[in-house]
Amino acid sequence: MKEYSKGFKPLEMMVVAAAREIGDGEKVFVGMHWPILISFFAKRTHAPDVVFFFESGIIRDSLPDRLPGSWSISDPCICQGSTMCGDSLDTLGMLLHRGFAEVGMLSASQVDRHGNINTTCIGAYNKPAVRLPGGGGATDVASLSKRLVIVLDGHESRRLPEMVDFITSPGYLNGSDSRYKSGLRPGTGPIALITPLGVFRFTAKEREMRLSTYHPGVSIEKIIENTGWDLKVSNNVTETEPPTKEEIEILRKMIKEAKERYYSFPPET
Amino acid sequence: MCSEIDGKVMTLNEAIRKFVDDGMTIYFGGFGQHTPFAAVHEIIRQRKKNLTITRAAGGIIFDQLIGAGCVEKVISSHVWNFVGPTPAYAFRRAVEKGQPKIEIDEDSLLSLNMRYLAGALGLPFMPIKSVMGTAIFERGMGKYYRTIDCPFTGERLCLLRAINPDLGVLQVQRVDRDGNAQVWSVRGDSKHGINACERVIICAEEIVGTEVIRADPDRTIIPGFRVDAVVEEPWGGHPDYMQGCYDRDLEYYSMYGSETRTPEGFEKFLQEWVYSVDNRKEYLKNLGVERLMKLRARHVLSAPVHFGYR
Repeated sequence: MKEYSKGFKPLEMMVVAAAREIGDGEKVFVGMHWPILISFFAKRTHAPDVVFFFESGIIRDSLPDRLPGSWSISDPCICQGSTMCGDSLDTLGMLLHRGFAEVGMLSASQVDRHGNINTTCIGAYNKPAVRLPGGGGATDVASLSKRLVIVLDGHESRRLPEMVDFITSPGYLNGSDSRYKSGLRPGTGPIALITPLGVFRFTAKEREMRLSTYHPGVSIEKIIENTGWDLKVSNNVTETEPPTKEEIEILRKMIKEAKERYYSFPPET
Repeated sequence: MCSEIDGKVMTLNEAIRKFVDDGMTIYFGGFGQHTPFAAVHEIIRQRKKNLTITRAAGGIIFDQLIGAGCVEKVISSHVWNFVGPTPAYAFRRAVEKGQPKIEIDEDSLLSLNMRYLAGALGLPFMPIKSVMGTAIFERGMGKYYRTIDCPFTGERLCLLRAINPDLGVLQVQRVDRDGNAQVWSVRGDSKHGINACERVIICAEEIVGTEVIRADPDRTIIPGFRVDAVVEEPWGGHPDYMQGCYDRDLEYYSMYGSETRTPEGFEKFLQEWVYSVDNRKEYLKNLGVERLMKLRARHVLSAPVHFGYR
């Protein structure tokens, strides 16, 4: 019998729910920041045989003896003990482009109803209010992963607009089959968005997000209010399964170590 | 050390003076590791101008080059301060406020790697199944992206224009006097990027005898005849990682993130770490021995392999 945690935080729920999207033994292309924590957490809990691909050129099937420094898939601790260490072209090219990444895991700054991700700019491209880093490997992970999982660490309307200001990494573009008409491969694309409030999945026809599960203690109204478009709710909507006590214990240790390694998180983490 | 007497081996000051001209396109290698920080600081000190800079993930070396006013154009997929993550503030000021004004060719990490590969192979382009449908694609369309229907399968492909930078700079673990450069650990875009360049400067943690290279030739990332300058510059990749040598200086990165929030703070950083030091040795003196010792890597050996034959 599972013993569920009681006093967990919304961002802890986000990590646990995102990790559950990874099946044991699957090959995951791991993005920066949250995805490192999420996929390492999955390996320490329900998916011990998961295999990680990193854009720095590394394949790893084991956890390193410490967390890599903030954001770094190039940390020597990721290389030492890996099963292959080569070029970015090896992992982004021969593995991801060839179609071997079953899951892609990315953090986003802004996501729209079709799962398009913006990490380039807020506002007009030529006169942005805020410039963001750009696409990096996320553009390729979103273009080529079979099942893309997106995490957004703040559920607010400005971060969930109807349409993103700039499509850095492709979701379903304008919905329906526009993604595949653009030239991206069939059998790729986002399958879930996880926020601190809920889990969202895409309809088969319009390829638009619906609320699939709301996290414990969160009302559906609150989620709708804080989403930038007229969010529809799935007919089968349920509560997200809460994290177990053990999961929260493991996760808190990881977050503590991450902070020591200069990861910055929202203040409520 | 004088270049006339000693072939390719020279100081960084000499190498940058000799091979970097204003207006050039320069590739900077390294991906979290092998980052040529020492060379970047020397370029800033020599006040080079109007450069086009390219690298798969720009990082804070691009932030520094942009803020120092060396840059006209950036060709990259990502420019940010990796630690935190924290914004690359000089880059942001340039894009948001035009201080200074820069142009950007946006790209994805894989497509940029493939553009370097095309350049390294002497091909005009490479095809890819990524990027299409994005705003990155729309911006690059007609300039460095095109589409075709594949002549074999009919499927839609994006074509990526090759890049052949005028010059490439890379920090490696070891090199010999001829320029045979060896790296280990993550290569990121370094191999195809550096091999796409017309001329090459290699900075190394140490210069070794050619017999060391010959005993383990798999590690060579670029052959000596492609290299124009060889510089011995230990800790030249600080504050980034260098496997087997040193760790990333997270505290320094974090300091950079908070100090460079304002133009004044950025200027102060450049004064302290770039302009007021003549070379890397003085920079290291600024850091202090104690700090370097804290970053120095533990000793972990790989298992030896047999290279024997009959």
